[in-house]
Amino acid sequence: MNPEIGHYALVLALAVAILQTVIPIWGARVGDAALMRVGPALAVAFFGFVSLAFAVLTVAYVQSDFSVLNVVENSHSLKPMLFKITGVWGNHEGSMLLWVLVLALFGAMVALFGSNLPATLKANVLGVQGSVGVAFLLFILLTSNPFIRVMPAPAEGQDLNPVLQDIGLAIHPPLLYLGYVGFSITFAFAVAALIDGRIDAAWARWVRPWALAAWAFLTVGIAMGSYWAYYELGWGGWWFWDPVENASLMPWFAGTALIHSAVVMEKRDALKVWTLLLAILAFSLSLLGTFLVRSGVLTSVHAFATDPTRGVFILGILVFFIGGSLALYALRAPMLRQGGIFAPISREGALVLNNLLLTAAAAAVLIGTLYPLALESWNGAKITVGPPYFNLTVGALMLPVLFAMPFGPLLAWKRGDLAGAAQRLMSALAVGILIALAAAYMQGGGPLLAPLGMGLAAFIVIGAVVDIAERGGIGRVPAATAFARLRGLPRASYGAALAHAGVGVCLFGIIAETSWNAERITGLKIGESFEVGGYELTLARVEPRNGPNYRDLAGVFTIRRGGTEIGTIESSKRLFTARNMPTTEAGIRTFGFSQLYVSLGDELPGGGIGVRAYWKPFVTLIWLGAVIMALGGALSLSDRRLRIGAPKPAKTKPIKDKPASKPDAAPAPAE
Amino acid sequence: MLLWTAISLMTGAAILAVLWPLRAGGGTAPAASAADLAVYRDQLSEIERDRVSGLIGASEGEAARAEVGRRILRASAETASGAARPSGADRRRQIVAVVALVGLPVMAGGLYLKLGSPALPPQPLAARLESRPDQSDVAILVRKVEAHLEANPEDGRGYEVLAPIYARIGRTADAARAWTSAIRLLGPSAVRENGLGEALTAEAGGVVTVEAKAAFEAAAVADPRDPKARYFLGLAAEQDGRPADAAQIWGALAASSPPDAPWMGLLRAALARVGAPVAAAPGPSAADVAAAQDMTPAERDQMVRGMVARLEARLAQDGSDIEGWLRLMRARIVLGEADKAKAAASEARAHFATDGGALGRIDALARELGLGS
Amino acid sequence: MTRKGRRLLLISCAIGVLGVAAGLVLFALNDTIVFFRSPSEIAAEHTAPGSRLRLGGLVKDGSVMRQDNAHVRFTVTDGGADMAVYYEGLLPDLFREGQGVIAEGVLLGDGTFRADSVLAKHDEKYMPKEVADALKKQGVWKEGEAAR
Repeated sequence: MNPEIGHYALVLALAVAILQTVIPIWGARVGDAALMRVGPALAVAFFGFVSLAFAVLTVAYVQSDFSVLNVVENSHSLKPMLFKITGVWGNHEGSMLLWVLVLALFGAMVALFGSNLPATLKANVLGVQGSVGVAFLLFILLTSNPFIRVMPAPAEGQDLNPVLQDIGLAIHPPLLYLGYVGFSITFAFAVAALIDGRIDAAWARWVRPWALAAWAFLTVGIAMGSYWAYYELGWGGWWFWDPVENASLMPWFAGTALIHSAVVMEKRDALKVWTLLLAILAFSLSLLGTFLVRSGVLTSVHAFATDPTRGVFILGILVFFIGGSLALYALRAPMLRQGGIFAPISREGALVLNNLLLTAAAAAVLIGTLYPLALESWNGAKITVGPPYFNLTVGALMLPVLFAMPFGPLLAWKRGDLAGAAQRLMSALAVGILIALAAAYMQGGGPLLAPLGMGLAAFIVIGAVVDIAERGGIGRVPAATAFARLRGLPRASYGAALAHAGVGVCLFGIIAETSWNAERITGLKIGESFEVGGYELTLARVEPRNGPNYRDLAGVFTIRRGGTEIGTIESSKRLFTARNMPTTEAGIRTFGFSQLYVSLGDELPGGGIGVRAYWKPFVTLIWLGAVIMALGGALSLSDRRLRIGAPKPAKTKPIKDKPASKPDAAPAPAE
Repeated sequence: MLLWTAISLMTGAAILAVLWPLRAGGGTAPAASAADLAVYRDQLSEIERDRVSGLIGASEGEAARAEVGRRILRASAETASGAARPSGADRRRQIVAVVALVGLPVMAGGLYLKLGSPALPPQPLAARLESRPDQSDVAILVRKVEAHLEANPEDGRGYEVLAPIYARIGRTADAARAWTSAIRLLGPSAVRENGLGEALTAEAGGVVTVEAKAAFEAAAVADPRDPKARYFLGLAAEQDGRPADAAQIWGALAASSPPDAPWMGLLRAALARVGAPVAAAPGPSAADVAAAQDMTPAERDQMVRGMVARLEARLAQDGSDIEGWLRLMRARIVLGEADKAKAAASEARAHFATDGGALGRIDALARELGLGS
Repeated sequence: MTRKGRRLLLISCAIGVLGVAAGLVLFALNDTIVFFRSPSEIAAEHTAPGSRLRLGGLVKDGSVMRQDNAHVRFTVTDGGADMAVYYEGLLPDLFREGQGVIAEGVLLGDGTFRADSVLAKHDEKYMPKEVADALKKQGVWKEGEAAR
């Protein structure tokens, strides 16, 4: 397909987005239904054109059309087909196009599935979404255009960074973007509500599915990114507090707070001002993350200086949207009517605590990420804010959240009974203590923090079970009644419990891995063995191999436990010849939830090879927990209630012979 | 053509996306509170369900019902007060329609023409590899020959074809390697050794390295009269700090070359540099000619035009050079500029109006070139 | 409790939590940040032994000595001064002589540096920005060389 078709589609998408920004908002301001109806049509068209542009670029990659500069710079005709396709978003220009594609996708989904929304809200949401699209399309077309052509076309491309030629990297950016950019919709809802001046309990219900979807994608995306770093970088670490990771974690904290405060707003008409602020913050932090990652300020000030247009452009977008929305917020928020009241000890109170601590955690991560930048530009001092800072602050802030988590769902709205909740949680608490004792016994001394953390994790998981059991009245009512009640429970309740259990599972994995992992660094000759985590590893052979575009030095180890051989594990050091770049292919074997992890080092002068081996107990629970959380979100999302709204105004169109000005389908006695 | 069809179709679709929703007519939107009411009713029925199934107590349920009830009352009041009927709906639709019909294509088309390259065709690699060898796609030619050489690494002809192309597209190291292979497989010749020497010199940024010198020496052995090898050997001597040797080599070369040899200009400049006597009759320098051999037709044309312009400027200052005028006329014809050739002929006649011999030569050339007399 | 009183309580709780969080952040920042130094800065400032630092520069050519298994000694240089580094562990994939490196660890009394982690970034063109700046200061590294 002609790349120029994609280029035009992208330009046309910009024109469409401009109209999408102006016409529906205008229509909403003057109350003109026809103008507002233009919004959904344009949102779908916007999505169509951006998809077309993305498809054309993909075709250019698949066909190795080296007349497209972006393809020359990031592809190679001999690259496997899978990595040709994933190479589309494995570079700056393509990933920004993916960003806009996801933005357009969410806009189109609101247009198509938002029939339950009031017309003015929908029009304003699509208008705001369109304005974000305008800003980023301008950024792409003016500073990062993937459709720039070269003539004469080279015969071969420069290939993709080998570290990026990996299936994990292929799928985690799209997931992450679905989360990141998904918050653009909650942002659009918040700004739309501020423009409209109508913010009530119903708004929260309309916003929740979008917040939930974005949050679930972001959760999985972060987990995938973490697993990719774990097995690809060969260090056995799964979280580095790297700025790029922090950039995804901050919106996650804000988004988690948002999905909780939206519940309060929906049920009790309270915390409205706060929920709006969170909706704005979640997307602002996503934008900030995009800026940090895309402008290059973090990896190298130098990179930013050589091409300042991009950084300055994104900074402009950042200032416009964050500043604009916050200014609008400051203007309109004081005019909102106060909602329901509640006692400090109540479901609302618990959710407020959760919100405060989560936002504080997001702020702590933000400060830790930006402080070195700020300090350097202020007095030139170069410092690193490393894992100790983040572990301390985020850990201390999350501890009360985690402990309070099982209590929250058991407290009643408005005024709760803490003692009662504690009583009902006795069984969970008992299990938690038992687990802690068992862990302490197994550990046999050492820091107490680990057993306590595992006890807390068990308390959270069992607490989620108790929550569901209590809702069914198990033990208090006949079994048949309890079963009927459980069947009648809304899916959102199951979803919440599942997500909370996921947090517990994840916490268990984190604590077990960090406190019980075993590490051995040694040099081995063939036939020699060493022991890690109760497994005996023998270096059976070292063999050189040749791949399509790399040379491999593979070490094969046999694993023995208690003297019997239970398998082999293979790790290799890979040299990609095109860019003369080595990578480590770690050998990983999973036993239950635990993993044995081996990576090769350099060949040693006296013969033999450096080996780094880890025993990582329960490490897979970290990612499994995150997946359970996301599944909980998905389950909540399937709740029927989230789709309730207007009595299908779209179905009852005004009939020709009626006066056109008659309000369509107002069920209440109007006028 | 296909591109413009696609562009028109896309633009049409975008315009339709604006016009289609306008078709159904304007009118007031349903009050926003109608949607709110639906949510609150659902909340009521949910509370009822929870109460019946015993999930919440009777008093709790009652309080919740009352709260939702208050929300319903408020929303109903809003619905009743209703939004004012909008006026000017038709005018707004006209404005939007005009924006869609005119603004949208102008915006998109204008920006595209600024950013896009509509003239460039798509060039999928497979199609390029299949297409007939076409001089314009040098990169693919190179790639094809490379692929052929990978399969037949002993084909010296391939290297010989590839090497000058490498040199032309600036891949001097590859050019040197290719020449080396060609020499290994086909045996030394003046052309090959010269090519190797030039590639090595270019790779070294104009310095005749030891290896390059060896190559030129081999070329001189293969063909003792070869001017290129002798020129570069002189250059090597000059760079080695032996200007006398350089002057001797270049002097010998100048003596054995015809006076209108294309490299004479360069040679004279070189001789002047090492302080040897110069006999000036500027023509295209050898460097110019050597460069012209490695140029694309467009670049060569450009260079010729530059030289012609310089010649014309010189003749304008001093019109007494009959050879210059004759050369200018020829050059104009070569460039396809018969008018300017005629103009040059008449100017020359004006300068040599009293010189019968010169006039005769001008008229003879003009007839030869078909310019009339 | 009145409506106003409840709001007040809520807000003061919020301020309390945020205050604790702010204190935590300040404490942690004070306690855990690590300064970046180049060898010549350490030489010029007479940095006290025992302090935790990130040392950045180039791995000096010919300085890498692997003892047994995973004990390595190498020298980090920025053109102005050298610093001997001792490290126990496997070196990262891209650790090479003449390439940029960041070592985190403790400055010892004998003027050597004991690293507990060594970083070389996963891109051969990448130069850690602190290292690039430090080298530029010493004039070893030319503009545009690593950025390409």
